[in-house]
Amino acid sequence: MRRSSRCESFATVVLVAASLGACATFETRETKLQAIKTVGIISAVGDEMSFARMGLTGLNNATRNFPIGSWGLDDLIVQQATAALSGRFQVQPVTYQRAAFAAIKDSPLAPANFIRGDPFKKLVQTEVSPQGLDAYIVITKAKSNFGSGARKVEGIGFVSYGTLLASYNEIHVLYEIRVFDGQTFDVVEKMAAPPLDNAGTVGLAGPGRLVDESFSPSAGDAARNENLHGAITELIARSVPSTLSDMHLADVR
Amino acid sequence: MVGAGGAYTPDFEGAKRSMLSPVPIFSIRRAGSTDQFRGPRDSASIALIDFGDLRAGPAGKFVSSRKASSYSELNGLGDVNATVELGGFVEYYPVDWFRTRGELRQGIGGHHGVVADLSADFIVPVIQHFTISAGPRFTAESTKATSPYFGIDAVQAMATGLPVFDAKGGAHSAGAGAQVSYRIDPRWEVHAYVEYERLLGDAAKSPLVTVRGSPNQTTVGIGASYSFDVKIR
Repeated sequence: MRRSSRCESFATVVLVAASLGACATFETRETKLQAIKTVGIISAVGDEMSFARMGLTGLNNATRNFPIGSWGLDDLIVQQATAALSGRFQVQPVTYQRAAFAAIKDSPLAPANFIRGDPFKKLVQTEVSPQGLDAYIVITKAKSNFGSGARKVEGIGFVSYGTLLASYNEIHVLYEIRVFDGQTFDVVEKMAAPPLDNAGTVGLAGPGRLVDESFSPSAGDAARNENLHGAITELIARSVPSTLSDMHLADVR
Repeated sequence: MVGAGGAYTPDFEGAKRSMLSPVPIFSIRRAGSTDQFRGPRDSASIALIDFGDLRAGPAGKFVSSRKASSYSELNGLGDVNATVELGGFVEYYPVDWFRTRGELRQGIGGHHGVVADLSADFIVPVIQHFTISAGPRFTAESTKATSPYFGIDAVQAMATGLPVFDAKGGAHSAGAGAQVSYRIDPRWEVHAYVEYERLLGDAAKSPLVTVRGSPNQTTVGIGASYSFDVKIR
């Protein structure tokens, strides 16, 4: 009886401690977000585009990459984010080494990522100017499995997906947004952009949409395909405000 | 992801008869990631190493206890406690539509042997959200993993009338499985599967199987699952 009572007391203490901890964490995050007045936006998503064949493919299914820096998608992302955030924050222009942010990749060894911590923290401290803003919003490429297979896609891309009875073409803009505290450089908030409503994609955990063959970058210079450029631009314009809204950073809905 | 299903499985490994039982479906994955292919026989696993086409990590399986009092065929044989099998898995996709997977697990509890599962699956997307998969299966077990379920000692032989049998390890079963899945929308998915295996080696030669059971083991299952995000800070 006494042992049972001790167990109950211990369980109660653990539950109360866990609840208080959760509340404290929530409050800390909310408090930090509310204290933010000035923000700088960094985007390193739009330097290149991938082209992949997936599903029922032949053995040659390697992913190819095309440069699309001339589309100025990072400037577009910063512009969209600035417009979405301006109602709540004072957005200040910042300069940064875009290539340094774009070069960071996750290790395939999960423990290594855990030990390394957030890889963008040091870059925000050293590669962004001016320092001293309340927060820095960093938008970088995200990675996702495609469908139920093992292949992963990243950032901006075009996937040609073959099934037994039909083929599909899909474009995607996979990115994640981190909010860094401007003083401690800790991550206050982080989120991968979710799929858009009613997008009808084959199986991606981020923004994408089905397109027809005329959007394919395989025919000629990808950067000169205006259909593709327009569709990617439209995805970004729809997704960025929506994701910032999901993070409770912007009220655009 | 949570869900529910039903599986028509042999009463126990080596049994002639089967029964329908409910199967809960529960899995956790990182928010913002999609479900990867999973075979019905796969153990619970986490990919700590993930190169995309090559994945590896820890794996574990729970094997429920076998009570002699539950089925008349087992009367006189001792109970086998529940077992937790812990180990690792490696899977490799040479192309998107073909997965090979191997698991090696050490039993703790009801048996203390080693179990190795090998499988291959052709994964064929038929249309956008409808996928069929099928492939061969093979299992090998050590003597310590086989003996508690298929061995018959002198006392058990006296109690059951079956001959004494010293079950050794080795090739345990070979078979094939097939699965169909349909994703209704980003949240809901339904699936059905059939797995057939034929017991081999001493598992097939055990009097429990030759006299009272069958080496042919078939499992049929259906299920529906619902995916949702839970945000934990």
